[in-house]
Amino acid sequence: MGGAAVRQYRGIIALTAPAYLWLALTVFLPLSAMVYFSFLTQAPIGGRAAEWTPAHYIAFFTKEVYWRNAWRSFELGIYVTSLCLLFAYPAALILAKHVKGRWREALFLLVILPFWSNALVRTFSWTMVLRGDVGLLFTYWAIVIGLIHAYLPYAILTCYISLQSIDDTLIEAARSLGASPVQAFLRLTLPLSTPGIVAGVILIFVPVIGSFMEPRILGGKNAIMLGPLIENQFTAVFNWPLGAALSFIILAIVLLILLAASPFLRRQLQ
Amino acid sequence: MARHITSVLARLYLALILVFLYLPIVIMMTMAFNTSPLYEFPFEFNLIWFKALISNERLLLSSLNSLMIALANTLVATVLGTMAALGLNRYEFRARPLLELLLLPPITIPWLIIGVSMLIFFYWTGIGRGLHSILLGHVALSLPYVIIVVGTRLKTYGPTLEEAAATLGAKPSQAFWRVTFPVLAPSIMAAALFAFAVSFDQFVISYFLAPPGVSTLPVEIYTSIRKGFTPEINAISTLIILVSMGIMLVVARYYRFGGER
Amino acid sequence: MTILAMTRRTALAAAAAAVLCAGAAPAALSQSKELRVLNWQGYGTDEKWALENFQQQTGIKVVHDYFNSEQEMLTKLRTSPGTYDVVLFNNTFVMDAVNEGLIQPIDTSKIAHFADLTPSLRDSERFVKDGKHYAVSWVWGVTSIAYSTEKLPTPPDSIEVLWDPANAGKVGWRDDAIESVQFASLATGQDMNAPSDMEKVKAKLQALKPQIKTFWSSEDEWNKYFAAGDYIIATYWSGSAARSKKAFKLPVGFMVPKEGAIGWFDGLAIATNAPNPDSAHAFIDYMVSPEFYVKWDTDVGAPASANARANAALPEDAMNRAILGDPEVVKRLQWMAPLSDEQRKAYQELWDSVKTTFAQ
Repeated sequence: MGGAAVRQYRGIIALTAPAYLWLALTVFLPLSAMVYFSFLTQAPIGGRAAEWTPAHYIAFFTKEVYWRNAWRSFELGIYVTSLCLLFAYPAALILAKHVKGRWREALFLLVILPFWSNALVRTFSWTMVLRGDVGLLFTYWAIVIGLIHAYLPYAILTCYISLQSIDDTLIEAARSLGASPVQAFLRLTLPLSTPGIVAGVILIFVPVIGSFMEPRILGGKNAIMLGPLIENQFTAVFNWPLGAALSFIILAIVLLILLAASPFLRRQLQ
Repeated sequence: MARHITSVLARLYLALILVFLYLPIVIMMTMAFNTSPLYEFPFEFNLIWFKALISNERLLLSSLNSLMIALANTLVATVLGTMAALGLNRYEFRARPLLELLLLPPITIPWLIIGVSMLIFFYWTGIGRGLHSILLGHVALSLPYVIIVVGTRLKTYGPTLEEAAATLGAKPSQAFWRVTFPVLAPSIMAAALFAFAVSFDQFVISYFLAPPGVSTLPVEIYTSIRKGFTPEINAISTLIILVSMGIMLVVARYYRFGGER
Repeated sequence: MTILAMTRRTALAAAAAAVLCAGAAPAALSQSKELRVLNWQGYGTDEKWALENFQQQTGIKVVHDYFNSEQEMLTKLRTSPGTYDVVLFNNTFVMDAVNEGLIQPIDTSKIAHFADLTPSLRDSERFVKDGKHYAVSWVWGVTSIAYSTEKLPTPPDSIEVLWDPANAGKVGWRDDAIESVQFASLATGQDMNAPSDMEKVKAKLQALKPQIKTFWSSEDEWNKYFAAGDYIIATYWSGSAARSKKAFKLPVGFMVPKEGAIGWFDGLAIATNAPNPDSAHAFIDYMVSPEFYVKWDTDVGAPASANARANAALPEDAMNRAILGDPEVVKRLQWMAPLSDEQRKAYQELWDSVKTTFAQ
């Protein structure tokens, strides 16, 4: 190994170590305890005897209440993520390319500002909007609307960051070589902004699957989803192993989806 | 002519998006000035909730805690996260996909489970409950967001400019501060805003790791669901939004994080 | 360049300062001598006037930590030993906590009002083991049916009113597995603590699909839905019904159907390794005193007191005296019994399945 490579490795470690050590201490190590618990009959706390069992993982596949709600959550994730991106991308595009100067900052800030309001208060405010004549409260679509509202800024943000760093001269060059605006967009802008889209998908799809607040407040009878189910194992009954197992299955599914999509992604992100 | 129309349509679209984003916020702020404690109409203007807020020590103290923690969290998470994003995206190395995948568990696993795991782990290692534990937790939850957001910019932008600077004789640190950092600045700022929002609104971790008698604003709001979610909460949320707006406007005046153009 | 350099330096300095502050704060918090109470928020022990009175009388400052469910309370106890003094316990959880070593025996000689407590509650086998009391019986109440006195001027008398198609889409229900199983058992004529036919219970619950407007899981949510007209009739707690009527001026009526309702009682316990056991006893004594209770029920609204003398001191028309003081009503109650963790898990799965059918 040459000196440059060693310097490179040292550089990588120096840069990434602090963050990952922090994560190891606060997330990975504690979660490994949960992984251990998920294979036990009960949490080994307070002198309880526990035996090894894969039953909780099997329960996900055999009991309808778990896999059906997992599917409901994934379905919700797909709806919310695609709708968010659908609405966010044009907004980000307009903001990045058509708006100039101080206006751009102002609008950017206005988009970010809702982040600072408390999520619970916002969701309650949605109950007031959706109640009454609109008649949407306590329906599935109320949940979707509430979640889109909560995650739209994420999508706008990530797409904007990506779009904004695309060099305009590239587009101009393409146009001067005879490409139409649509062609320039489809063959240059869109592919170059893929990192932003992908980041948006990850930051939206994943949390939405586990969301429990918007379903509970806005969904009425339609509220049952995976998030609340997992929560129940900690707050309504003492069944940590099942809650942990369900969470790790979801993590595994998300990882599988990402791995399946990675060849496509790697091409885009070159 | 066509360009004019598209320009108008574009602005209209943005306006609609903003209306959607602010609809519940406007309602929330309206209710802060409404007399009814049960959020009922008709609307009667009243400042009682703001007056009640002033004497509500618990709510004010917890807001202060939230603010302090969020600021600390933003600083730490942004610095550590930006460094990590740089490390991950500057070079190609074999462990890179693994490290990127490791960012998923904190976002995927429900925060409730992470919270309980942290609680047990901190108890077991003697770290215990306290503001320091809350900070540990918040930074951990913010890091993936920072790394992904800053990473987005790096992935789009690529290492070409830095390489060019290097070939022109710049030392790595010079190349970073004079070339990379200014370009990254908008995404770092955005990541910082993210980190602040994640921490300021974080309920679950704070709920489990706060020692008795200490509270943060989201915890107060959540636990008040039991007792009585009064418009005092709307009042403080309104204040927070207005103050944030003010701060952001001031920051925007002196720092362009929309980019150069 | 200068701005960037300054930003970097100030950023690092500020970060260091922030982390130091965060580390120092806990030290500042832990030195005072305070009593730590773990309870539901807004459930009596944190009434501002009560804490002020108590501090005036005894000089002890009381600090609260809250939970949103019994399991959360247990998690906090399990993972923070030596942190809490007084803990609120629903009677069905006490013996498990004793066997796990989470709470310690009460020195009843330190509770002046101990003799005034209703013997059936005070010496209940749920609180007493080997002759030692592990919790002081505090309040009791009924989970039954509340209704809008405006929309239903003649009070209903049967539990079937919840399944009455005339009330479709106007019924409120608590999102709780155990309570749901209990109500369905009562409605199908079974022992609510050990229903023999769970299929019947499940079917009865599934029949609620057209009835329920939405679930509630806290008093505050209940009030908001009721005030907005979402509920005409709903499951509810007696103490909360009193509060909704008195403090929020809502037209709430409360009834115990002929098929029966759910009786429950809560006690105050002291955690093992409590930092201030003496103060804990003093606080519990204050909580069961008529002085505290009457003001609590009159000003705010509360469940019934386990202190017979305190109950008798209430005004005649107080809901607690009128309804819960009626022996005919009390006879119809079935009292909540402890469940094993296995049973709870089974109920939870059943209820989650029922909710899944609601959502389809």
